Amino acid sequence: MILPLTIGVLVTAGVYLLTRRSMVRAVFGIGLLSHAANLLILTAGVTSFREEPIAGRVDPALAADPLPQAFVLTAIVITLAVMVLMLTMAVIGHDDDLRRAPEVGETPDS
Amino acid sequence: MLTTPAGAVPLTLALLVLAVVVSAPLVRVAGRNAGWPLAALYLLAAGAFTPAAADAVAGGHARWSMEWVPALGVELAFRVDGIGVLFTYIATLIGAVVFAYSTRYLKRDGANLSFYLVMTTFTAAMTALVLTDDLVVLFVCWELTSIASFLLIARSGRGAEAPSFQALLVTFVGGLAMLVAVGAIVARTGTTVLSEALRSDVWGADPSFATAVALLVIIAAFTKSAQFPFHVWLPAAMAADTPVSAYLHAAAVVKAGIFLLMRFGPAFADVAVWHVLLIGVGLLTNCLGAWFALAQTDLKKLMAYSTVSQLGLIVAAIGVGSPVGLTAAVVHTIAHALFKSGLFMLVGVVDHAAHTRDLRRLPQLYRAMPWTFAVALVGCASMAGLPPLLGFVSKESILTAMRDAPAGALALAVAAFGSVLTFSYCAKILLGGFVDGREEREIHPVEASLWWPTALPILLGVPLAFALGLLEPPVAAAVEAGLPAGAAGEHPHLSLWHGLTLELWVTALVVLAGVLVALRRARVFPALQRDWFGFDGARVVDLLTRALASAGRVVDRPVAVDHPSRHLVFILGSFAALLAGGAAVLASGGHLPAPQPGLSAPIDAVVLVLVTVGAGVVALSHNRIAATVSLSAVGVLVVIQIIALGAPDVALTQMLVEALTIVVIMLVLQKLPTTFPRSSRGSRARALGFAALVGVGAAAGTWALTGRRGTSGVAQHYIEDAPVISGGANIVNVILVEFRALDTLGELTVLGMAGIAIVALVSTVRNDHLDPPGDQEIPEIDLRADGSAAERAIRAAWANVLPLQLLLRVVNPILALVSAILFLRGHNEPGGGFIAALVGSAIVGLTYLSTSRDRQIGPPRLPVFLVGGGVITAVLTGLAGLVGATSFLEPLHGHIGAWHFSSSLVFDLGVYLAVLGLVMIAFNLLGTSAATRTAGEEGTRERADEAVEGELSGPLDTVRGESPGRVGRTTSFISSGTRPKEPGR
Repeated sequence: MILPLTIGVLVTAGVYLLTRRSMVRAVFGIGLLSHAANLLILTAGVTSFREEPIAGRVDPALAADPLPQAFVLTAIVITLAVMVLMLTMAVIGHDDDLRRAPEVGETPDS
Repeated sequence: MLTTPAGAVPLTLALLVLAVVVSAPLVRVAGRNAGWPLAALYLLAAGAFTPAAADAVAGGHARWSMEWVPALGVELAFRVDGIGVLFTYIATLIGAVVFAYSTRYLKRDGANLSFYLVMTTFTAAMTALVLTDDLVVLFVCWELTSIASFLLIARSGRGAEAPSFQALLVTFVGGLAMLVAVGAIVARTGTTVLSEALRSDVWGADPSFATAVALLVIIAAFTKSAQFPFHVWLPAAMAADTPVSAYLHAAAVVKAGIFLLMRFGPAFADVAVWHVLLIGVGLLTNCLGAWFALAQTDLKKLMAYSTVSQLGLIVAAIGVGSPVGLTAAVVHTIAHALFKSGLFMLVGVVDHAAHTRDLRRLPQLYRAMPWTFAVALVGCASMAGLPPLLGFVSKESILTAMRDAPAGALALAVAAFGSVLTFSYCAKILLGGFVDGREEREIHPVEASLWWPTALPILLGVPLAFALGLLEPPVAAAVEAGLPAGAAGEHPHLSLWHGLTLELWVTALVVLAGVLVALRRARVFPALQRDWFGFDGARVVDLLTRALASAGRVVDRPVAVDHPSRHLVFILGSFAALLAGGAAVLASGGHLPAPQPGLSAPIDAVVLVLVTVGAGVVALSHNRIAATVSLSAVGVLVVIQIIALGAPDVALTQMLVEALTIVVIMLVLQKLPTTFPRSSRGSRARALGFAALVGVGAAAGTWALTGRRGTSGVAQHYIEDAPVISGGANIVNVILVEFRALDTLGELTVLGMAGIAIVALVSTVRNDHLDPPGDQEIPEIDLRADGSAAERAIRAAWANVLPLQLLLRVVNPILALVSAILFLRGHNEPGGGFIAALVGSAIVGLTYLSTSRDRQIGPPRLPVFLVGGGVITAVLTGLAGLVGATSFLEPLHGHIGAWHFSSSLVFDLGVYLAVLGLVMIAFNLLGTSAATRTAGEEGTRERADEAVEGELSGPLDTVRGESPGRVGRTTSFISSGTRPKEPGR
């Protein structure tokens, strides 16, 4: 079984990046973690069945589980949305240091 | 009569709800004048209520109900009795007057929509509250009035933020008490019907239960009616507009507490604490409020404290619990609603005329505004309890009631002391506000429409005092409703002249003492204005909040950090321990089924090796570009793995998302330093060790928990049945748009909201902190002379992008075609809305990159409309399924010629639009560079503002999304001599 190892590697790199000071690195970490999560969900469909689930083209006994695929498709697009939003946050204040609040031009009392 | 008594109730409520519905379009059309039709609607509602009121006064109890939550026995039930009649008329009639006043008080071009919307909502909730016969509805309406009150305070600008939250905090504490009380009553009496619950014999049989509920009801009522120590919110709430104060803080919302006490009074007749607390706290509040009122110099604050004081008097009268006491409370509720709403509006009139309401700065107003002075005189006389006004009748009956109270002599003495203070602050209003002023100020004329709604309720108190016979039957009905069944023995008799009673002597003494104070006012008032206690309620609340906050900081110190690593350690650490440990236990115990044969393919190993390299570079590289390139490499490898797993749709999507993500990252990186900040070697090693542990956990968990079964039943079902049911061969796409379309609807909403959130986020940041400073230097290169082809090719921006532009002439149509094909064939082959939209987005991205100047693509508001249109399209398709088929989002099928058509295609269109909207927002808002500012193009902030407001001349100078002062047809830049903001800097 090789996929668990791939997932483990992706998680390791993702978690490491999440603990770094730079927000952009944290976003990259989220990207790697979501790759890992997506592979995990696909793996849950049992990787012995690897034929494309398109009716009329494959032997139903060998077709991959279509439900995890649908889940992952949804997850990928949400990852895109989350990453773009986080990248926007990273860029505010010309600085992506997670240990310091970005400057936004608001005084504390306003 | 137009309707039956029972039919009058839904009609009245329907008219009030109609007022809510039409308020927004009315304000759109008529601006502040929307108050006129709304006032007319209120009068109509009051008129429609007449049959029910007449029936209740005659002793009937009209009831009307509609199912709401049948499973819990909760009904929208309404039952009319004397108390309901009293408060319904207060809510609608005073409401109508206040709306008439608002048409002139509000600013012509102010944000009046929220005012009318929330005010009408409040009236509907208040009326439902006083008429309902269901405990759950009672609670819901109670909270609605609290929320409306909060919103009305909060909308009056920045200074109102703190007061509005104070009001919210205090009234919600009461709301919680109310919730507990309602829950306890329903649980104990077994019914949600209010009238039945109040008649239950639980109250007599279980005194401790009755006491507990009584205390909860008291807390709820005291918070709403601003009784000590909850009175703090009311004076602070004076930050709200005057019509709000006149309506909510004199007549309606504060009277909700009075209503509650009257409503629950019958149940607690035998609870000693009820009477003691009501009388004690009521009288204390009466004196304290009056004392604070005397200390004020702001007329409106003075009125607020006077309201607190008067409410205390009513509470005390209810606490006495005798027919006389309740009669006094009811009459004083009427009298107070009339004179106090009028006096509040009068403060607004003074404010409009003199542009101040500070007693120390007002001129001698009685000369300039004799009629206003006369009205104020009548109102204050009624408040001070002078004959021949309604206030005198009620004040005297309260004094009578106090004689019935336990320790009657003391109660009477305290009430009399409170009355002296009341008389004194009334004198202060009149003499300080109209007579004693020295300052010369310009007096602005006041419109008649502002004036007569002010005078009307106050002057109404004069004839009412002589027509007490008219008032007696409704008052008697209210009193009867507020007493335990059979307790309403003698009929209360209202009259101006009872003979030379003790109360009359007390009143005479009060007047004498009050006049003495008024005569010595030059000494007394300034002395009282000193800060006697060194603190006030608002400060106490503030201190309490701060103390709680510091206590919270002590508690959260171990975990409160802004950067994520410390939180992640706990979450991911336990995740790893659970998975790794669990997998080990399962494996060693031999509980795991054997894995399926053939789980791995050779390609998996290739991907593993390459992913390890790629992920390693992403994690360890300090160069941002290097990390980005590696990230994209990992993405491609994952795509290969996904293809190997037999998921072409997923792979296509992942590939396109990967490309888009990388482009967006590159856009962002140009505004950030070129390298990541470095951390110490030790910290890196620790983090890496920890990350490896989590990785081992994830791997072990995946290994132990997957691949150990055959094809699942669900998979079997989809593979065999989905094509038959849906007529589509691409099962994954069919699942997305048909079987699990609700997931997809949620997903595209998330997508769209992310776009909106980006716009919102950027528009809270000032311009300077978004775009990089435009001081980037162009490196010197040894080139041929200016104007030569080589120089142009390197230096000129348009020449740089020329190849891409030429390429796009060919590529863009192809991409559009591919996008269309992918969209249409999604049902049967790999493709579908997402994939097609991502291909379409590539056009957006490439076009953005190929322009020589940093400019937005498309009209500025297009992306937001795309997002909204996408979500609406998808929801409408869903509704079509609900109407045309059997359930939300169920697809409709049809044939156009030989082509099979499914409404899921329209749903997919919604997906397409939302994705495109998000991508456009991402490019437009993240795509600025250092050159943007140098070239004087629109910066990030301006683009975000334009995404909402349409074309603007420059970034808005706000951080909270206030409406822009835009250059347009109706602006007054030239007439007022202020220059509009100009583009560039």
